[in-house]
Amino acid sequence: MERFYTKTPEGTRDRLFAECRTRRAAQSKLTSLFKKRGFSEVETPVVEYYDLFAGSGRPLPQESMLKIIDRSGKILVMRPDCTTPIARVAATRLSGGEFPQRLYYNQTIFRSDPAHEGRESELAQCGVELIGAPGLKGDIEVIALAVDALLACGLKDFHIELGHAGFFRALSEQLGTEGAGELRHCIKLKHYAALTDLLSAYGENPAARALAQIPLLFGDASILDEARALSDDSSALSAIDYLSEIYGELQAAGRGDYLRFDLGLVSGLEYYTGVVFRGYAQGAGRHVVAGGRYDNLVGQFGPARPGAGFAVYVDDLAACLPPTAVPRCETVIHYDPGMLEGAVSLLDAQPPGTAELSPCDALAESRSLAVKKGAKRLLAVTAVEIREETYV
Amino acid sequence: MNRLKLAITKGRLLEDSAAMLERAGLDCASLRAPGRRLVLEIPNYPLDAVLSKAPDVITYVEHGVCDMGIVGKDTIMEHGRRFFEVLDLGFGKCRFALAVKEGSDFYGTYKTRRIASKYPKVAADYFTAKGMDVSIIKIEGSVELAPLLNLADAIVDIVETGDTLKANGLVPIETICLVSARLIVNTASMKLYKKEIFSFIKTCEDGLK
Repeated sequence: MERFYTKTPEGTRDRLFAECRTRRAAQSKLTSLFKKRGFSEVETPVVEYYDLFAGSGRPLPQESMLKIIDRSGKILVMRPDCTTPIARVAATRLSGGEFPQRLYYNQTIFRSDPAHEGRESELAQCGVELIGAPGLKGDIEVIALAVDALLACGLKDFHIELGHAGFFRALSEQLGTEGAGELRHCIKLKHYAALTDLLSAYGENPAARALAQIPLLFGDASILDEARALSDDSSALSAIDYLSEIYGELQAAGRGDYLRFDLGLVSGLEYYTGVVFRGYAQGAGRHVVAGGRYDNLVGQFGPARPGAGFAVYVDDLAACLPPTAVPRCETVIHYDPGMLEGAVSLLDAQPPGTAELSPCDALAESRSLAVKKGAKRLLAVTAVEIREETYV
Repeated sequence: MNRLKLAITKGRLLEDSAAMLERAGLDCASLRAPGRRLVLEIPNYPLDAVLSKAPDVITYVEHGVCDMGIVGKDTIMEHGRRFFEVLDLGFGKCRFALAVKEGSDFYGTYKTRRIASKYPKVAADYFTAKGMDVSIIKIEGSVELAPLLNLADAIVDIVETGDTLKANGLVPIETICLVSARLIVNTASMKLYKKEIFSFIKTCEDGLK
């Protein structure tokens, strides 16, 4: 046991000073924007029953959840995702209220990854869920908010990529359900070679020809026209038309420049029912935002409600931001016995983080402390005066 | 144009990759004679190459410190998850096979079979797909030894010619899958540098013609 008492478990770490500040600053910019847009904060437990995540259609493998067995033998997991618990809240605690409900969260999630891959197992997520607002207006509100959230944090070089669960679904249904899982896997990984092999079995089937092109269908709005030319299936086309409509609305709202498209965005399809999106930023090796529409999730816990939302991966986002400067100690305050009150009010008058009290009894000791700390001055509070000594 | 970073697996795949890129007109002198340097510039193409061991290629690409990588499908099957696999480069061809001691009957027993492999995940996935319960034991060096010393009933390993197996009295009884080198791309790089990456994919395809 002693061997581990100075270490943190793999995948977790201590965050000090600048790292905390950058992360907190991003979180507070995000949450103040969410509040401005009428979202209210909810917090859900850090541990929940395993059943909540196992049965919710979430595509989360059981080995990636951190588990605990409680006193009665039930399996608990450390919250692996924020949306599922909030869907539970919406279907139970909020079911009698008025909808739509605008909810936001600022919490951490936990994942269990294979050892020594350098991945974090504790991830800060800050995001929103708009529950009870179906259709276009719900979607454009959420997507515009995702763009604005990244802008609010100070990111410039980023884009949000939109896809639609209905496009892949419509095409793959034409080939029958058998093999849909493998098709999706190849599309998700943009695994052209294997996808072409897999689809060659269907010959000249137009849906198969369209599916073979999906991995290439990403980029600016022109790919929507390419996609339209690929298929005459009405539900596939209506997914494309819907994305065009969203794009038109967001372009009119001045957010069009931040939007891209990827019709190969097919991960989490057990769960997403309409538009899906991911945000990519210069400087992050993975997406910094993930979201979409999930109209079937809330209904698994109570009365059905449409839902849409997104999560910002705060740590990946913070890594793209310029580092925050941490204030240095510039003033050391020495005080004589009985002068605590004067010393504290002097301390409070300094810019935060730039001054500290000296714990030393003798003035000479406080002086040497000030020098060691690299402070520019010493303030000595006595019964008669406040004396200032400055150092170069 | 943005300079892309490409991680290449050292050894035979490096030679084949350099040959492919040279056929497409890239100056690969630095790849041919890297000396002690680990980051190599391609003078006539916006590309820097990093040479590393196969599993590290995957690590660099997954973490986004390299935009692309050239690595064998064997390593991808054992280690890889979160990246795009965009091109089968066709070289570095071999196969994963299940091999047993000559004359032994692998399926003719109720005993839980023990499988030795350098690729425990590949072996486990194969038998899970078959619905067969086996115990897997990881071996770092010459896997062929395990059945000879009666440590395992069979091995799962890369087979090129089958000569090593034959010399040790083993026979491949099933091909698990074919393996060749792949071009992989970091998921965020693909989105941020689409133009550059597609033009590199095209360059590779030209070199493979």
